[in-house]
Amino acid sequence: MLVRGCGGGELRHSLAERTKALAAKCHALRSPAREQRSVERRRPRNRKSQTRWYVKQPTWRLWGEEKVDGAVYTVYLKKVRYHRPTRSASSESDDEISHLEWETVRVRFVKAGTVERLVEALATDDGELESTYVNVFLATYRSFAECGKVLDLLLRRYQALASEDVLPATVDTSQQHRKTLVACLHVWLDTYPEDFRQPPHHPALQQLLAFTQLHLPGSELHSKVLQKLAVFSAERNGCVGGAGVCLAPGMRVLQHHTSAYRLPHVPHRHFAEQLTRMDMELFKKLVPHQCLGAVWSRRDKDRSHDAATVLATVNQFNAVSFRVISTVLVEPNLRPIERTDILAAWLDIARELRVLKNFSSLKAIISGLQSNPVYRLRKTWAILSKEKAELFEELARIFSEDNNRWAQRELLMREGTAKFADTVGENDRQLQKLLHERGSPGVSHGTIPYLGTFLTDLTMIDTAIPDTVFDGLINFDKKRKEFEVLAQIKLLQGAANAYHLPCDPLFDRWFDSVIILDDREAYQLSCQIEPPTNPPKERRPKNINNNSQGHRKNDSIASTSSSNSSQFYCETDGAGNAWKRDSLERRISPTRLSHGSSSSSLPSLDVSLSSANSGQKTANGKAPATSPAHPNKTGPDFYIIRVTYESDCVETEGVVLYKSIMLSNNERTPQVIRNAMLKLNLDGDPDSYTLSQVLPEKEMVLPSNANVYYAVNTAYNLNFILRPRKPQTEAIVNGKAKNKRT
Amino acid sequence: MREYKIVVLGSGGVGKSALTVQFVQGIFVEKYDPTIEDSYRKQVEVDGQQCMLEILDTAGTEQFTAMRDLYMKNGQGFVLVYSITAQSTFNDLQDLREQILRVKDKVDVPMVLVGNKCDLEAERVVGKQQGANLANHFDCVFMETSAKAKISVNEVFYDLVRQINKKSPKEEKNKKKPRLCRML
Repeated sequence: MLVRGCGGGELRHSLAERTKALAAKCHALRSPAREQRSVERRRPRNRKSQTRWYVKQPTWRLWGEEKVDGAVYTVYLKKVRYHRPTRSASSESDDEISHLEWETVRVRFVKAGTVERLVEALATDDGELESTYVNVFLATYRSFAECGKVLDLLLRRYQALASEDVLPATVDTSQQHRKTLVACLHVWLDTYPEDFRQPPHHPALQQLLAFTQLHLPGSELHSKVLQKLAVFSAERNGCVGGAGVCLAPGMRVLQHHTSAYRLPHVPHRHFAEQLTRMDMELFKKLVPHQCLGAVWSRRDKDRSHDAATVLATVNQFNAVSFRVISTVLVEPNLRPIERTDILAAWLDIARELRVLKNFSSLKAIISGLQSNPVYRLRKTWAILSKEKAELFEELARIFSEDNNRWAQRELLMREGTAKFADTVGENDRQLQKLLHERGSPGVSHGTIPYLGTFLTDLTMIDTAIPDTVFDGLINFDKKRKEFEVLAQIKLLQGAANAYHLPCDPLFDRWFDSVIILDDREAYQLSCQIEPPTNPPKERRPKNINNNSQGHRKNDSIASTSSSNSSQFYCETDGAGNAWKRDSLERRISPTRLSHGSSSSSLPSLDVSLSSANSGQKTANGKAPATSPAHPNKTGPDFYIIRVTYESDCVETEGVVLYKSIMLSNNERTPQVIRNAMLKLNLDGDPDSYTLSQVLPEKEMVLPSNANVYYAVNTAYNLNFILRPRKPQTEAIVNGKAKNKRT
Repeated sequence: MREYKIVVLGSGGVGKSALTVQFVQGIFVEKYDPTIEDSYRKQVEVDGQQCMLEILDTAGTEQFTAMRDLYMKNGQGFVLVYSITAQSTFNDLQDLREQILRVKDKVDVPMVLVGNKCDLEAERVVGKQQGANLANHFDCVFMETSAKAKISVNEVFYDLVRQINKKSPKEEKNKKKPRLCRML
């Protein structure tokens, strides 16, 4: 019924068209409610035109509900207008248009039902395919039934129809019914082949094979099932090993070469394209139904693989943000203008991402820039050029949380499936300029959305709408609602195919080589670059951490109070105590030690990081050997050191790849080596490696159990080499190190 | 009317979204739509004053860790939620609170500690006293709630409004400036 009313949405339609039509329908359905609510709330905002994915809004009227055994339907009366299909250029053959202007049809939607009823509803009463319903069903059924169960019901229904003694008058309907069921199976296999993977034996696929052999031998469905089976078993048997072997050595070799890129002097457009390439690969692999609230927001450790593709996207988002934060902070000795250049470089990359319509990495960069450790660097931001500052504001405005993220929702609606970026606000001067300069690009771009908005929406839908209604019937209206969001994701995934971006392994290497700082590390570095302006009053009497405020006196207070609070936790219970102790240890020990270090007059240790505080000019990363002791400043709690791996078998072509690692002041040699190995992707026993600092004249090999933090020579660059241990060098090594250490 | 930006934070699965939906919608509505502008806005009367609350719920995006600072920068009051049925969600709050204080650069931020799902007494693993102790340590208000059974949900938000009022009795002029909004 619905199909006819809407002008014959059939299987032939591409997925995109189907989802578009559906989004339109769903939107039309909810429109009255929306308007009503808006009026109720009397929102002052004068909203401009709403661009949505439908052109014409049909008139729907709720007629009522209809209850049958095991299902409830919502019935609408729909006024259908018949209008001439608009031909783009010529309109010669207008003969087929009927004279009927409009009529009212009755449309029945399943509101809720048992699994059996929901499966039955895949075909309408006349046996026609209900393509919208089929799409909603297949996208969401996993939250209420297993694959095997649904398949079972489908096949049983087919068999029942086939064996029924039908009256001659209804033969057609019965046949149509069966045809529709087969069509559903086709859609299912094509759209969600993963459902049938079920390694190792693919039971559902085997069941389907048995079915087609019996009922539909030689049919298209039969051969499709055979083909899928062949693909799955081929994957299982041969190809896996081969691919793995190919990849691994390649990855290894890459590790030994340097990255050619170094912010801020990087090609912005190219960086934006490469980020987009990474995002696109993940976004295309994203399985939309893993975003459902029932899967994503209710996942726990045991079921984390259920949402693996979502998690991969989130991890990439974070990875980009972390890179922004770390590249801005990791070199403490930069002059302010050099650091500002890095901000500007990220903004230039972000601007290119806007043109590419990659809202995921765009938001990741903006989030990185707005993260506290970066955002609080007032002096650095203050010297950013006016244009760049404006650009930042305009890009940040896209992701404003105001009015339930209205700005980004609207933008995604406008540009989601458009060929290129063309939307700017009235006040977006920089973006206007940008789009004006670019004109309309020759190639069209896809779109990569920021997934978080969808995840929040789906979580809220899952929370707000009950799974079952009417004494245990599956609430299918909820599935429709969820599908509205899934359909958008699918549509954008389709659009993402428009990207054609080459892969640059050098970029991947750069991306991989950037150090990642955790919250606390980033904040500490940030405070060393620009100490907090407002002096600590009698700050945080109860607060455990915050010992890195850069004021010596605080340290002892902080550690005293923190031991108090650990007692506090001892009193409460065992479990709480355990985690507390762990996190306290992490926090207190650097404090205590660095306190010790500053009072035991080791001024040379103060320089590497805290020298940035004094605003001195060394820009080459080399800390001055004779830094004046800053009696009022604590020593840094950690250094960032660069470690290169050197082995006999690899030639490095005169270039050196290094990985940066954090070195905190309680880490001994084996731990540092372990950290370095982790970064450099090396396996094995830390004891079989040596670590040495590169000094102008020679190398200083660290003793096997030194506290590396205190052993390093901070008068020089903190560059290190990691080597497989050679037994004969041992003795000399220790000798050297001992000499050097004083 | 004064506007209050309230941020709901906590690990995944603690029922943040349920608290928000329960507060904003009151009842579980059939035609719920999370995508419209005022999905998370609610006008309430607290102590004889009309207030417009805008709730920013991080549900579904807990793992976008890089974005937390942003939420925190914007929020005026914070609901820190754990589930009384999962110890780990309780433990996670310490770090969240520290982050808030860092971002806000203040000692004292309007905050309520919430132990949710108190209808599931049989599955309780975090004792009420534990929650109270943590709140004492945080120097903030503590409540146990149930979004499902509608226990103490409104109180959480009302209390935050009172805390914000106490801290900054009059609306500061610069709060109205669009600049704040722009920075998210």
